Amino acid sequence: MSLKRMVLILCGFYCVMGIMPLFVGDTDYIMNILVMILIWAVVASCWDVIMGFAGIFSFGQVAFYVMGAYASAILSVSLDIPPVFAIMMAGVITGMLGVLVGLPCLKLAGPYIALVTFAVHMTLIPFLKGPLGRAIGSGGSQGILTIPPINLLGFAFSSEQLVPFFYLTLFLTIICTLILAFIIKSYWGTAFLALKDSENFATSLGISAFRYKLMVFAITSSITGLFGALYAHYVGMLSTKMLSMDVFTILMIMIVIGGIGKYPGVVVGAVITVTINQLLAPVGMYRPLIMGAMVVVLVLFLRDGVIGLAQKFSPLQRKLG
Amino acid sequence: MLIAKNVTKKFGELVAVNNLSFEVKKGQVYGIAGPNGAGKSTVYNLITGNYSYEGKIEFNGQDITGLPPHRIAKAGIARTFQIPEIFPSLTVQKSIRLGSRFGARGGLDLEHTDKIISFVGLTSERFQNTRLLNLLGKKKLMIGAALATKPEILMLDEPMAGSNAQEIKSMMELIKKINQELGITIIIIEHFMKVLTELTETLLIIESGTMICCDKPEIVTSDPRVIESYLGDAYAESK
Amino acid sequence: MVFEIIDVIISGLINGSVYALMAVGLTLVYGVTKAFNFAYGSFYNMGGYFAWMLLIPVGLIGGYFSVFFVAIPVFFVVGYLLEKILISPLRKHDDWEMKVMMLTLGLSLFMDFGYQAVFGPRIKSLPGMIEGTLELGQVVLFHQDIVIFILSVGGMICFGWLLNNTRTGMAVQAVAQNPAGAKIVGIPKDFIFAATFAISTIMVGLGGILLSQKTFIDPMGSTNIMIKAWVITAFGGMGSISGSLYAAFILGMLEAFVGWHFGMIYVQIATLTLLLVTLTIRPRGLMGRE
Ligand SMILES: Nc1ncnc2c1ncn2[C@@H]1O[C@H](COP(=O)(O)OP(=O)(O)O)[C@@H](O)[C@H]1O
Ligand SMILES: [Mg+2]
Repeated sequence: MSLKRMVLILCGFYCVMGIMPLFVGDTDYIMNILVMILIWAVVASCWDVIMGFAGIFSFGQVAFYVMGAYASAILSVSLDIPPVFAIMMAGVITGMLGVLVGLPCLKLAGPYIALVTFAVHMTLIPFLKGPLGRAIGSGGSQGILTIPPINLLGFAFSSEQLVPFFYLTLFLTIICTLILAFIIKSYWGTAFLALKDSENFATSLGISAFRYKLMVFAITSSITGLFGALYAHYVGMLSTKMLSMDVFTILMIMIVIGGIGKYPGVVVGAVITVTINQLLAPVGMYRPLIMGAMVVVLVLFLRDGVIGLAQKFSPLQRKLG
Repeated sequence: MLIAKNVTKKFGELVAVNNLSFEVKKGQVYGIAGPNGAGKSTVYNLITGNYSYEGKIEFNGQDITGLPPHRIAKAGIARTFQIPEIFPSLTVQKSIRLGSRFGARGGLDLEHTDKIISFVGLTSERFQNTRLLNLLGKKKLMIGAALATKPEILMLDEPMAGSNAQEIKSMMELIKKINQELGITIIIIEHFMKVLTELTETLLIIESGTMICCDKPEIVTSDPRVIESYLGDAYAESK
Repeated sequence: MVFEIIDVIISGLINGSVYALMAVGLTLVYGVTKAFNFAYGSFYNMGGYFAWMLLIPVGLIGGYFSVFFVAIPVFFVVGYLLEKILISPLRKHDDWEMKVMMLTLGLSLFMDFGYQAVFGPRIKSLPGMIEGTLELGQVVLFHQDIVIFILSVGGMICFGWLLNNTRTGMAVQAVAQNPAGAKIVGIPKDFIFAATFAISTIMVGLGGILLSQKTFIDPMGSTNIMIKAWVITAFGGMGSISGSLYAAFILGMLEAFVGWHFGMIYVQIATLTLLLVTLTIRPRGLMGRE
């Protein structure tokens, strides 16, 4: 996909999202869904960049999201750091943790990377619940309940006033998704692609696998952590429930619907998935069941996601035969 | 220019390269031959830093032992692969520019890459996806991308394998041109003795990772040890 | 103290033996089909629930003997069909490895919540296979533990025999070592893939039946089991059967000692640390080839 088309799709997404508050601004229920769409859109985009685009089987995406959330919450609750700085620091911290997780992954073959990153996810649960987590202020199995809202120049962005928070999130979403689009289209992006296609050939042409793979880890985990932190200050409380498998599955459905490696299709995936997830809320415990089945069916039958569908039925494609 | 000193590589029990020493001089076409599984490709993988090994390899007087592959590429050593490697997501032009952008010392040089594309004969396919190339096209692409890194030495791994007589001829022309017009030193692994005797100035024969002999091709091909272990009696008789 | 340690060792051995059974199944299926199965733990629970269903509500005559008799063919069919329907269609495309991971992760969520929907969210316990204890001086062995150990080791020996002495077993090994070559010799690869997947389903399902007697059937516990089986497989070297065997017993022991000395909460952290350290030092695991 050309950069122009990427930016076009993204702009369409921003515009639609941007005017929504005009219609539903006073319905908190819907505004909350919109905020979550924005947050998930970025988190899923990062996943698509590392897994779909760079071909690194990272299953630690939710883990980085939670790390960012906890990092910022702990910084602002235990150390009294203002949320704005705490969020930025959380982005830096998760970026570094991403590099740390990426380091052992450099030498590993695909499925091992999936395992190691997923292991990080699984270790996080006993870590945060247990005495080690409590020592750094994770609040154990109870979690952290009193996370202060973001305060900018005396104005508090919180879930009390959803419209301002929504626009703040939209602003950050625009910046981060555009950064991702430009990275994909820059020579860095070409390096990621080349390493995915054939690491041996790519390194023989002078591409440093070390540098560019770590870069993918750093960028995606940092942005993911940043949005995790944003989420923490939005909802005001955290627990290890965020690490449950159905959160993971929702994220997975987003990138499957959007089309794996078809950035920015994943933002469309986020819109559809968050909406479906909300519609399924009344069925209670059957929701994860249905979500699981959806993954299976979608992976089997929706190969390239909505972007693939659009390409298939676009007039240009038809002309070419 | 390129000197290997007592290089040994073991894969578990298997000694793939056994105490091998050789020297490639500037401007040479240097041939490597030996039976399948002799360790020829492994020698390349050691030179390019894909595996760790015992011993030492020097390039232009600099010790390159232990350097990662991309640093060795930047130092001026380029290679192709026995089983063609391509970038299925990229076009021919993009793949070749990649070599220039990342591997050449001065960075991306559009003039140079354009020259390379026509030099290897891929001009009409330049906007094609590399996936669509045939075997010969893929080999040309690998050579093109390698040349785009402005190497001092180019290592070819069985460039003639799977080719017909016509293709072998044009590949040989290309190799000669690279050596003579671009002044690039060449190492070539090949099975076709005729190709090696015509192209190379020095020929190294290895078997089970061990050097059997290393000399001018005429001398090597009449060496009884080489005939026994590699070429076979039929070859000797056909001469 | 000494007897406590002996107890810990025994518990490590027994867990290790069941883990070995499960991990060998997993390493086989990975070695042969290169499919990374995230739903492996859910098949383990399938074993537990299957046995529970037959023993408690159905009240099958013949107890565990009949359960095994029914379970083996049923698990085979389940595994075979799942491979045919869900995994083999993905294999046509070059991003299939990632797709398999995602699909099986979805499948595991579906299965886990399916169990909850059918059997309820609470944990269930299985009756023991056999009562009674064996006393050797001060060391007390449960008959049940001995039977579990014998059955899982027996299962593995049986499996090893099948692999080395039947046509299908040899074909499986051929595909694992050289897929391209196997195709040339005319081994029906698709059948081997499905059969291997089915065999691994049997092994983990049996593991579930055996070990759930000692622990519980927990509908949400499958992720832990899956991680454990994968850690053993990766630790031992994916695709290496002997590696998996060693790794299973090492992990069983490690768990028993960490759980005894530091507490259960550290078990998973220790396991995963072991994995990370091993893979950092030996990227292909204990016995994996370079
Ligand atoms: N990565 C590896 N791991 C284990 N053994 C290898 C590896 N690469 C090559 N070998 C073994 O080393 C020997 C030499 O291989 P290779 O250099 O490819 O031979 P050639 O190119 O001369 O045909 C072979 O026996 C091969 O099986
Ligand atoms: Mg070779």
